[in-house]
Amino acid sequence: MADIKPDQTLDTRGLSCPMPMLKTKKALKGMKSGQILEVWGTDPGSKNDIPDFCKKNNNELLEMTDLPEGYTRYIIKKG
Amino acid sequence: MSNNFFADIKEQTKDAYDLVFGTKWPAWVGGILLAIVALMIFLWDYTWGIAGGYHNWGDWIFHLAGVKSQPRTLPWLHHLSVSNAGILLGALASALLGHQFKFRRAPKLEYAKGVIGGILMGSGAALAKGCNVGGFFSAVAMLDIGGYAMMVGLIIGAFIGLKYLLWEMEHLPQASAAPADESKAGKINWEAIKPYIGGLIFIAVIAAFYLYASYDKTVVGGLLFFGFLIGLIMHRSRFCFVQAFRDPFMTGEAKMVRAVAISLLIYGLFTILIKYNYIQDPKMDVYHPFWFGSLVGGIIFGIGMLLAGGCASSSLWRAGEGHTKLMVAIVSFAISNSTTFSLLDYFGIRNKLGTPHLLPDIVGWKLTVPVFILIILVWVVIANWNEKTEKFVVF
Repeated sequence: MADIKPDQTLDTRGLSCPMPMLKTKKALKGMKSGQILEVWGTDPGSKNDIPDFCKKNNNELLEMTDLPEGYTRYIIKKG
Repeated sequence: MSNNFFADIKEQTKDAYDLVFGTKWPAWVGGILLAIVALMIFLWDYTWGIAGGYHNWGDWIFHLAGVKSQPRTLPWLHHLSVSNAGILLGALASALLGHQFKFRRAPKLEYAKGVIGGILMGSGAALAKGCNVGGFFSAVAMLDIGGYAMMVGLIIGAFIGLKYLLWEMEHLPQASAAPADESKAGKINWEAIKPYIGGLIFIAVIAAFYLYASYDKTVVGGLLFFGFLIGLIMHRSRFCFVQAFRDPFMTGEAKMVRAVAISLLIYGLFTILIKYNYIQDPKMDVYHPFWFGSLVGGIIFGIGMLLAGGCASSSLWRAGEGHTKLMVAIVSFAISNSTTFSLLDYFGIRNKLGTPHLLPDIVGWKLTVPVFILIILVWVVIANWNEKTEKFVVF
């Protein structure tokens, strides 16, 4: 999956609920269908919120990986 | 055979451990368990609340700073202070056991929001004589109609708070804070040790319960233990009152509304049984200032919980998970709550904010059950409808 090239990268590291979710929603709003958003986050809550949000709004969560550097990377394809 | 036997036990223990600490519990499961523990606290001692404990902490902070005279109760004997400590320890143990604990730094703006959110929550909880738990959750379950006024206030406050967050994203510089790099670990492998520390905290809480009992303070010791259970339940299910009030405006998600509603139904219906049969006094915990104090307090509290990213209860369990921003919010909440109570007393308006009313005194005991259920159902039905149509989603 590492070869997917994101159209936009959003850094929410250090932010806690609800900021990562709000920023993700805002970023996706400004993107076209089919574009890829990469999100970096550290809030454990996002691991539930982002998948739930993607499911509800027909966006595709391509990847959710805990990186050894201590944060999580989400790759979302806008639906 | 004995080899197999022990291997089996080991495997089953691991499966059970993964089920409890490796996964997130559904929010509604958290809601049901929370209601059961809240009822146990009600029968054990008095109604569950949180802000009262913060009030005590704030009084002590001012006393130690030399501003206020010594508070009546020591923090380790104050009932709600002790159950708050239990919640914090329960969440900490749960986060350690689930490999979710670490000290989490935040950008500067977030700390400022933690302070301001704490100030707003502390003053709102003083006006309403209770926070999202004592002023809303427990108040509704205790058939105190001030709880409904605070609920309306929390909905309005959450809406205003969310509007501010949207404004902030557009107009204030956005920063992030990278976590400490874990790939360059030191000599000690903390990740492997953390679950054992979590287990030790659990044992220490049980030991403290016994210690309290040996000093004839069994009731207080029990509250530490019940608080511990609440912290564990809330952290594992990420049970969050803020989400219940905020998400219908933010994403339309109604999951947490349903979880709070299930919890309230169980908590309230059993309370009706307990109060109707005089197992506990029907007037117990009916003191919320309907409607002005509860409503206005709810609005201020609602704005504060959006800024802080946690209410009275979820700030505690998030602090237990290591969020430094929420630790700041709790201290700020305690100081502000104590200050606002003093100001209300000083100006003599504490008892002019409204009068408490028991729901059965207004609608009669016969109608209490249907009215109680109906109000909660209306909330759920609207939230479910909004989940599909997103009519109330502001962005």
